[in-house]
Amino acid sequence: MTSNETLSPVIAEFNGVSFRYKGNADVLKDIHFSLAPGSFHFMTGESGAGKTSLLGLLYLDHLPTKGRVRLFGQTVDSLSRSAKAMIRRQIGVVFQDYRLLDHLTAFDNVALPLRLIGEKEAEIRRHVSELLTWVGLEKQMRSYPQELSGGEQQRIAIARAVIHKPALLLADEPTGNVDDAMAKRLLHLFLELNKLGTTVVVATHNMELVKTFKFPQLHLTHGKLDLIPPYSSYTEMASKLLNKGSKNA
Amino acid sequence: MRKKNDFLFTKDKTRFYFPWMCWLLVFIGTFICGGGMLVYNSLSSWQKGVSESLTVQINTYDEEGRDRGDLVGMDIEKALSILRTTPGVIGASVLTEEQMNELMAPWIGADVAINSLPIPKLIDVAVDPENPPFLEQLKMDLSVHVPAATMDSHRIWLAKLIKLSNHILQFIIFILGLLALTISFTVIYTTRSTLKIHESIIKLVHMMGAKDFFITNRYAFYNSKHAFVGSALGTICALPLLWVVILFFQRTSDTVLQTQFSLIQWGILAGIPIIVALLSFITTFKTVLSYLRRFL
Repeated sequence: MTSNETLSPVIAEFNGVSFRYKGNADVLKDIHFSLAPGSFHFMTGESGAGKTSLLGLLYLDHLPTKGRVRLFGQTVDSLSRSAKAMIRRQIGVVFQDYRLLDHLTAFDNVALPLRLIGEKEAEIRRHVSELLTWVGLEKQMRSYPQELSGGEQQRIAIARAVIHKPALLLADEPTGNVDDAMAKRLLHLFLELNKLGTTVVVATHNMELVKTFKFPQLHLTHGKLDLIPPYSSYTEMASKLLNKGSKNA
Repeated sequence: MRKKNDFLFTKDKTRFYFPWMCWLLVFIGTFICGGGMLVYNSLSSWQKGVSESLTVQINTYDEEGRDRGDLVGMDIEKALSILRTTPGVIGASVLTEEQMNELMAPWIGADVAINSLPIPKLIDVAVDPENPPFLEQLKMDLSVHVPAATMDSHRIWLAKLIKLSNHILQFIIFILGLLALTISFTVIYTTRSTLKIHESIIKLVHMMGAKDFFITNRYAFYNSKHAFVGSALGTICALPLLWVVILFFQRTSDTVLQTQFSLIQWGILAGIPIIVALLSFITTFKTVLSYLRRFL
């Protein structure tokens, strides 16, 4: 690794990236984009457009079949296993299917990333209790995932993804199982983290959230990526265009 | 409450069976190892007695009871010549009259003229304990060139027994090797089953940034702990039984088997659980590491 690579200001950089699962057609085609530190993006697109695959490339679940992916200034193909693990520690992921561990309580599930990095137990207790209180699950700390509702499980999954204050937060449909009020509350949690410097990518179908929170979109259509400016910008742009048109008329 | 570092494991059946497999294998292993040590001890003591010296007798009277006269002297010379040129023989000398008297005194008294008795002449043969002569060949050479010579036959029988005992010892080592291999395969099978059961957990912690060393270490400690518990129980059960067997042999007055273990041997027997735990640790470590290589 060169010093240039470590000093790179970009969190993620995709250059001509394509990806396919073994024996299948390309799921992602010629993707170019970069994520600046502290940015917030929604990832949108129809089901099957490649959102989960793109997130998988971002959290090093896959390697690109073509093109180059750089994370935290390092080209992922050439990384050692240990270096990959260190990169993964800087990423928080909220999975669509939560992936909570059934044999652990809500508290222990959330504490998992901190235990992996060897945080002190007293600190773990403090941080996890605070966060679970914030997501409204302080009474369910000792409950096991199977004793919790879908929405509660989702909040546990989100708490687990953010507990170690990751540099990059990736969320795959994080609000799919919660009501609108809770969805907004969770998005506010992501916003709080974003204000503290965390780069956030939220894959969602919920256009209401996209409209409310006005962040740019990484929009996927059949594996092709388009960067759409924040909703407000293009609604403003659209209205300006409309105004222009009406004036001209 | 779960231990904070126990998050990689759920309750699974292998957790129950694995220590019991270790128990059984170590129980058998300890017993065989103990038996092997007793054979080895007996072997060593017999070898010491047999390998240091050998006696060749030259008959002074023929089969019809007639004095062989000067022929005895010639036979002694021939026998000495054969013995001294045999590889593995350090020295050979005829026992003097004084030595013979001393040797026979307990049976016939000190003041009997030994030359007047039909007692064979004895040749004391010193052999190299590290490189003993081939006794069968020596016996044959003597019988061809000096028909009146005889070699102590019990020594040949003991040499054969030692050879057999050596084979028994090698067989015991082979069996112990097989047991070690069985334990290794049990560990590999158990580890693979446990990995399969815990695949989702491993994938998750791997994705969260757990290093290979962290996961392999947890598994290796987990398995070696269970292997140690099972093996310690196996040894604890086998040692008293071995003790009973030793007592049985000790009470048999004409036993030829050594019934004492040295302190080092007791240490080895007691150390078997540690050896099994170590074997289990190394095998698990390698198995988990090769499994993790499947992930990016």
